[in-house]
Amino acid sequence: MRRLVRDNALAACFLLLFLLSLAGQSVAGTAAYNEDQVAEGGAPVTWLQYVTSSTFAVDVAENWQSEYLQFFLYILITVWLIQRGSPESKKRGEEGLESDAEQKVGRFAGAGSPAWAAAGGWRRTLFSHSLGLAMGLIFLLSWLAQSVAGLAAYDEERLARLEDPVGWGGYVLSAEFWNRTLQNWQSEFLAVASMVLLAIFLRERGSPQSKKVGDPHSATASSG
Amino acid sequence: MVVVCLALITAGCASAEKDPVVSTAERFLSAAGQGQGGPACGLLAPKAARSLDDCEKQIVSVGLRPAAVREVDVWGDEARVRLDGDTLFLHRFPEGWRIRAAGCDPRPGRPYECEVEA
Repeated sequence: MRRLVRDNALAACFLLLFLLSLAGQSVAGTAAYNEDQVAEGGAPVTWLQYVTSSTFAVDVAENWQSEYLQFFLYILITVWLIQRGSPESKKRGEEGLESDAEQKVGRFAGAGSPAWAAAGGWRRTLFSHSLGLAMGLIFLLSWLAQSVAGLAAYDEERLARLEDPVGWGGYVLSAEFWNRTLQNWQSEFLAVASMVLLAIFLRERGSPQSKKVGDPHSATASSG
Repeated sequence: MVVVCLALITAGCASAEKDPVVSTAERFLSAAGQGQGGPACGLLAPKAARSLDDCEKQIVSVGLRPAAVREVDVWGDEARVRLDGDTLFLHRFPEGWRIRAAGCDPRPGRPYECEVEA
């Protein structure tokens, strides 16, 4: 049991942080929502009513989509683009999908390789891109969820202002939808660019996301 | 999965909520049209009722009449009922749906202009 926990500590730690943060967001969100409700002469809602509301759903989904987009693009773009000195980049000359031997697929698969890496045809193709596809799919679903939940929250606000509701098509073309979307995207892209550049010159001893402390700044694709 | 659930919840809520919204709107217009200021004012949101100096007298004098319902939209705690020649806006209170605005005319690109408004 202790070994199981230790072997999965990284995932468990972040899942726990996720659940605690989501719970905290739901409590703080309920309080903030009720402040507005009372100020406008409405009745406060319960925690359960808030967490099943479109307001909470759109706040959650808009952050999810941008995080998954960030990882999806990082996974995909680092196949083709390199950054000299970055511990998370491939070396110059390694850009692209690489050979079957380098990727250990087909006849180059080892005894411990996943079955679909050794297989041919669509199974190998699908498995070869399964991480990017999964991240991309979760991004699209989260973005769609943001649009559906956002529409409900947006049209409720419009009706409260004595304006006509806009419908899904109108919402995904609205300034509100793109403001919510792009304000999340810009922060994700900045964070990735910062990480790529800062990791060239700065170190975090012991972290696999960093180069070894004594590695030269020009060293690429090493971790410590 | 999340999207399907959200879509079903949204559609389901909107559909199930339409009947009480229409019922409140029809009772309000019927009372106002028949000169029954008390019942009509009782169906107004408190802020809308307070916007009229003498609610029971004024609410029956703005020309509100029952009419055929053409379209109902419910989003969360807000609703809009479009009728022949009139549009009503409602808000859901703990005691039920109440009229926030009545006798409303659309203005392109701007909020509706209403005879009675919270």
